[in-house]
Amino acid sequence: MAPPTGPRGGSNNRKPTARASRGGVAKHRAATRTDRDGDVSMGAPISGSNPPTGPSGRGTRGRGAARGAPARGSRTSSRLAQNLKNYIGEGGSKHAKTTLKILGVKNSKAASNSDGGVKGLLQFIERKADKDKKIVLGRGVLDGDYVWVKANKDDVSSIMHLNGYQYAGAPITIEETTEPFPTGTKFSKDAADTRQKLLALLAKRYNAEQKLLDLSALGTDDILGNLGAVGSQSLAEKSFRAIIHVAGEQFKTAEEKRQGIQSVSLARNEISDVDQVFTLAYSLPHLRRLDLSNNRLATFSSIAKWKQEFRYLEELYLVGNPVTGVADYAVQITQWFPCLQILDGNIVRSPQEAAEALKAMTPQPLAQLPSNLRDGENNVASIFLRSFFQLYDHDRPALAAQFYDAESVASLSATPEPGRDVEWKPYMKYSRNIQKLGGSRNPAVVQRLFTGASLIAEMWKSLPATRHATLDQPELWIIDCHTFPHLADPSGHGFAMGLMINVHGQFEEADTTEELYGTRTFSRSFILGPSKPGAPHPYRVLSDQLTIHKWTPRAAGAASVPVTTGAPAAPIAPVAPVVAAVPVIDDATRVQLIQELARRTGMNAQYSELCLSGTANWNFDLALQSFEEQRANLPPAAFTAPA
Amino acid sequence: MVPASKFVNWYYSQINEGKGVSQSYVTNNDTYKNAGHPPADICVNGLVCPTPEDWEKILAQQREAPKATNDKKHVSYVVDTFDAHVINADYRFGATQNLIDIHGPNDGVRMMIMVNVSGTVYFGVSKRSNEEYSVKQHFNDVFILVPNWDSLAKQSKYGKRFLIASQTYRAY
Repeated sequence: MAPPTGPRGGSNNRKPTARASRGGVAKHRAATRTDRDGDVSMGAPISGSNPPTGPSGRGTRGRGAARGAPARGSRTSSRLAQNLKNYIGEGGSKHAKTTLKILGVKNSKAASNSDGGVKGLLQFIERKADKDKKIVLGRGVLDGDYVWVKANKDDVSSIMHLNGYQYAGAPITIEETTEPFPTGTKFSKDAADTRQKLLALLAKRYNAEQKLLDLSALGTDDILGNLGAVGSQSLAEKSFRAIIHVAGEQFKTAEEKRQGIQSVSLARNEISDVDQVFTLAYSLPHLRRLDLSNNRLATFSSIAKWKQEFRYLEELYLVGNPVTGVADYAVQITQWFPCLQILDGNIVRSPQEAAEALKAMTPQPLAQLPSNLRDGENNVASIFLRSFFQLYDHDRPALAAQFYDAESVASLSATPEPGRDVEWKPYMKYSRNIQKLGGSRNPAVVQRLFTGASLIAEMWKSLPATRHATLDQPELWIIDCHTFPHLADPSGHGFAMGLMINVHGQFEEADTTEELYGTRTFSRSFILGPSKPGAPHPYRVLSDQLTIHKWTPRAAGAASVPVTTGAPAAPIAPVAPVVAAVPVIDDATRVQLIQELARRTGMNAQYSELCLSGTANWNFDLALQSFEEQRANLPPAAFTAPA
Repeated sequence: MVPASKFVNWYYSQINEGKGVSQSYVTNNDTYKNAGHPPADICVNGLVCPTPEDWEKILAQQREAPKATNDKKHVSYVVDTFDAHVINADYRFGATQNLIDIHGPNDGVRMMIMVNVSGTVYFGVSKRSNEEYSVKQHFNDVFILVPNWDSLAKQSKYGKRFLIASQTYRAY
């Protein structure tokens, strides 16, 4: 998008000294106007007719209305006016930056440079301010004796160190200021002037209620006429681009713009090819209504450039154009705009047809089939997964002991959402995302690969408590699995069959350390292979890869809330898990757990056992958690006497 | 995991550009075929594809949008994360004795690898930068890769070092 262009004056037009020491916003603006009126010759009639601007911030609106036909004043959008006001009132200060005034360049040797030494000075500061950090300053403006520049707030302190330094033979003084940045910084004064006029034009031609930008009959517009913008075709096209650009700038986000301008009228503009106004398709691609009536579009080819644009256009008016007389006119135009429902006031498509036509414009996702389980006769996958997720939720050490051995490998990777690092913290330190870590040169790739049941169990211990849905709710799970040949046989001779299982689902999470509660979606793939002799199960996990991501599978339902900080929506820890079959824990493990809990909490064996066998259901983490909660209520007898 | 990185980069740039991937499956490799390896197991959104060409057809179908201009027929896979495990460091099916002798079980050549890729797939993205996609999905692709003995025997710097023995794909 080309910036708004206007007749530019030479650089000698600038009279920065006239604005040397301006005060507040209102005063400053009023003065600028006087300045402009005095300097600019081309806008004489308009400028002369300008009512004096009062000190009120509403000046813009008043000017806009006063310049246009008074009847249109009522249609002036309050929103656009507000936007315009913001723009003018605040200048560029809406970005969180600090304005600096630098004195001294006038006395330096650089003052004789073509830019008055501004560039050299700013480069000097950028170079010298901080030797560790790259500092980038905004565009500097020479205004009187001062160079004005904007800097990031964080950088200001290092820049201030240079206060009193010598630059090109003269000392410089840097001061922070809250005074407004000199206006007209981005554009030459004439361009800024043109811009003001375009804003006035937009203000009178925008209808907020109808979300309509009425750009009809621009050729007879006073403002454009006075700007001399309609004199030639190329000037008219340029000014159209400028209008569209300035209009687009009034909205902060694309969505606001989409909502704010839904209709555009370009009627009576003597357009003979849409190429002349093509920029509309870039700037407002989601336009719903477009009026091109009474132009000079004569052939399909004069509209063809727009045929893949305006995918959401619902209404189009072309009456009064010669093209409407061409054979198959309606058929052709309807084909070009997939959502078009009304052409010249006639219904050409139903909303349903429009939706279907729109769908045909873009590729569509593949069909989704249910779980594909090809795990042989014995349902190994479903039996394994049942035990796996139950134990993973309630007893991870037992899980590692049962299905993992010294050769098992496990890792996890997480793809956090931008800006929500806190919510992903528990997983990021283990995340083995090779895409991000970048190959084997990064030691993390090796460190975050956990080999052997004990290391894996250790890693699991520090992951948040989870609760997976039961496999009896197939709508919450997608499971694909199949057998494959040529794993190494644990005996060391020949090949063994393997089972590849890929699971997609979700779990509730309670991270009491980071105060994170909610639901996460995950994918987990396993490679199962035959166990070594003497193992508790005939098969073992050779490889376990967990991926935690931000996506919710379509079946996940509305009940799930993504993991956030704060109060638990569905507390996991305090509630006794509804377990159909209590995980098998042998007495030896129980004794170990009791001892460990006693060691960690200082409770005696009897209370440790009570704690574990209660709601915690022999889940160590849960027991520890309930201890923390109940600590204050415990009798002194619960603790072992200090040694 | 350099082989896995290379594979992932290559694979998704091929399908993003609408280029073929079928030659990277064991199904189309004579050495594996002659040794009696079963065809690669390809399961796409729960549908078993008998041949890699069927998967290519599905990919082409997915790009298809009857009314779209060429620049909007794009289906673009963006990898967010991938991870890889060696699941058999001493893979030898179909290898010549010579290759088994040259490459010991610990030198990271005769490996069977599981690669797990997750990311986003964007539908209908034009090349124009300010145009937004119409639909996006999460995808997860799990591959089992085995060494390409042909390329190892040639000791060529180029060519596919690994072939796909299994692929399980889901996008939702």
